[in-house]
Amino acid sequence: MIKVRIPTPLRPLTKNQGEVEATAGSIAEMIENLNAAHPGLKDRLCDDKGELRRFVNIYVNEEDIRFLKGKDTSLKDGDEVSIVPAIAGGN
Amino acid sequence: MSALKIPQQILDDMIAHARELDPFECCGLLAGTNGAVSRHYRITNTVAKDARAVEVFEGADVKQLSHLSNSTKAEVAYFMDPKEMLAAFKDMRQRNLELAVIYHSHTHSPAYPSATDVGLAYYPDAAYLIISLEHKTAPDLRAYWIKDRQVSRAEFQSV
Ligand SMILES: [Zn+2]
Repeated sequence: MIKVRIPTPLRPLTKNQGEVEATAGSIAEMIENLNAAHPGLKDRLCDDKGELRRFVNIYVNEEDIRFLKGKDTSLKDGDEVSIVPAIAGGN
Repeated sequence: MSALKIPQQILDDMIAHARELDPFECCGLLAGTNGAVSRHYRITNTVAKDARAVEVFEGADVKQLSHLSNSTKAEVAYFMDPKEMLAAFKDMRQRNLELAVIYHSHTHSPAYPSATDVGLAYYPDAAYLIISLEHKTAPDLRAYWIKDRQVSRAEFQSV
C-alpha cells in the first residue's frame, strides 16, 4: 500500500481526505488508480497528453520525481507520495 | 477568514530578503494559527539561482513570459525550490501551523499580482503578499486573496 498526501486544493476530489491509499508499482499507475477512486484527479495532475503538469511537484519519500524517473518512478509497498502544487509567478 | 497579523520583525526580514535578491525576485512562506503569523520560511527562487530553471514556464498557460529571453525572465519570475517547500510544509505540520502567506517580490513593478501570478495561484486559502521594490527607498507591501482567478485585497496588520 502506498500512502499519498493530498494538498488542500485537491481535497474536494478526495472527500476532504488529506491522505489516501493506493496500490501501484509506479507513479503513472498510481495516478490511474487514484483517478479511478477519485475521478478528476488525473486532470489536475496531467495535461491532455498525459504528461505531468509542470506546476505540480510530486515526491516519493521526499525525493522530487523530476530527479528520479518522472512518472515512470517505481513505487513499492510502504512508500509515501506527496503531491504539492508548485508555487511560482512573476511580475 | 480572520485578519492577518504579521510580526513587524518578519515584515522587516521579508523586505531584507527582497533587497538581498534584487534585481531577482525573492520568495517565501509565512505560517501561523488563525491568521496570526509566527513563522517565516525563506525559500530559494530556483530561477534567480539558475536562469535555465525558467524552462519550467514554457508551455504554462501564461503567455506573458513567452516573448522574453531567459535572462530577462529570470528577473521577472519565481519558482520555489520544491525540496525546500516540502521541508517547510513538513515543519508546519510538526508545529501544528497553517500556511498563511505566500510572498514574493517585484523588483521593477507595483505590488499587484501579475497575470502570471494569478494564473499560477493554486492556494486559495493563503494570502499572496507582494513586496514591491519599484521605489527602492520605499518598499510597498500588499496582500491579496486569489481565488478562481479573482483578486481581492487581503488586509494585514503588523504586530
Ligand atoms: Zn509577481
